[in-house]
Amino acid sequence: MTFDFALAWTSLPALLDGAWMTVLITASVMAVGAGLGFCMCLVRMSRNRALAAIGAAYVAVFRGAPSIVLLYLVYAGLPQISIVRDTPLWILFASPLFCAILGLGLNHSAYVVEILRGGLSAVPAGPVEAALALGLPPRIVFLKVRLPMAVRYGLKAYQNEVLIFLKSTVAVGAVTIADLTGAANEIFSMTYDPFTPLLTAGAMYWLLTNGLRLGFEALDHRLNRHLASNAPDRRPTTVRRPRPGLSLFGQPLVRRLRRLPAKPAARETQ
Amino acid sequence: MGLLAYGADGYGDELLDGALVTVQLAVFSYLLAAILGTLMAILTLKPRGLRWMAGRVYASVATGIPSLLVIFLLYYGGTEIVHALLAPFGVDERPAIPPMAAAVAALTFVYTPYLADLLRSAIQNVPKGQLEAAEALSVPRRQIWLKVLLPQALRIAYPGFVNIWVVLLKDTALVSLAGLTDLIAAAKVASGSTREPFLFYGVVVVFFILFSAATIRLANRQSRRLDRGVRASEA
Repeated sequence: MTFDFALAWTSLPALLDGAWMTVLITASVMAVGAGLGFCMCLVRMSRNRALAAIGAAYVAVFRGAPSIVLLYLVYAGLPQISIVRDTPLWILFASPLFCAILGLGLNHSAYVVEILRGGLSAVPAGPVEAALALGLPPRIVFLKVRLPMAVRYGLKAYQNEVLIFLKSTVAVGAVTIADLTGAANEIFSMTYDPFTPLLTAGAMYWLLTNGLRLGFEALDHRLNRHLASNAPDRRPTTVRRPRPGLSLFGQPLVRRLRRLPAKPAARETQ
Repeated sequence: MGLLAYGADGYGDELLDGALVTVQLAVFSYLLAAILGTLMAILTLKPRGLRWMAGRVYASVATGIPSLLVIFLLYYGGTEIVHALLAPFGVDERPAIPPMAAAVAALTFVYTPYLADLLRSAIQNVPKGQLEAAEALSVPRRQIWLKVLLPQALRIAYPGFVNIWVVLLKDTALVSLAGLTDLIAAAKVASGSTREPFLFYGVVVVFFILFSAATIRLANRQSRRLDRGVRASEA
């Protein structure tokens, strides 16, 4: 049970190639999932019963099936249909990479639908009503008020889903794509060293998942900076602590004289 | 539909055997992960110190790498790992690791920290008065854990546990890549030789959807049973 640093060093280029493939697939699937997920979320939340049912079925099937089965279905199943086989579509479906991105994208988009739906339905009615009362067209209200708030609400769940699906990209080995795991496996089959290539690949996956996690946390911090109550106070020291002013019995004098309440009434907790 | 028949003409029996492997794998890994996760949650309860640090490192590793990689590592290297572990005791054996054992060990390794995390925060969410009351009555330490804290923590952690079950069930699909003849592998063989991928993979999809739906239904019923005696929160 040893770790061979020399082998790790010489196999680094092959593993980095594999890691690049994993990153490429992850990024493409995120793009496909976001687009498809957004469209299907609109379908899922449609007032039309039939459309909503189609959306629900989409989510149930593509979220319930393991991604590897979807990969096999796209890669081996779709070419059985003559529309796919006998038209220029075949150029796309003959490529394992395209099939992998489509298969994983279908799976990922179903999760995006549910996350986005949860976020959209968590948006309070107040801001939406306010925007409509100001005469903003419904489309602008959706794009500029509801969607940005929904994205903030759903970001944490989206982060979890992306991290899970980054790890599930190992399934692309099933359609002959050499990703990071595939590259490590290849080196194992050449050297019969069970530890070095797999542990090196594991370290790379760890860096990928944690890098992505840090990126999401930075994004979360940026999007929610208006909520950051315990964020460090970055204002210049001169304005940081307003001078209390002349006070009488612990309350600012002016307030006391004007008979204003010191604090607004505590907001009702929900 | 004849292709799904049971026996020599169809692939029904192969698929059923594969489904059995999938279910066994999921159930064994989940139970082991639940037991070890409970131990880990109790051991890493205090948010500082060596045990907590070790727990964080383990959780970070296990949740940061794909389970298939761990399966490969234990499948290829399991013999060497067991040999290295037994060597200090003077046992010089290199047992062959069956793929099923490697897969169960790998999934347990990956999912233990998830369940431990859920349970730890649940234990911390059991009202403090419960522990204080039990201590005031001088209930023995072991009884406090087994009869007071853990049952209530399990009730709180239950929905999260069900979630992880569904994730683990779908993760078992990857073991076919490590050479285990689970449901996916059976469907792959069948669709390869009959050229009916839609039929066989469709069966697999339906199996996974129905099986997780059935377990979720069962779990919800159980959850309602666990929640009896707890006032529903005003929504």
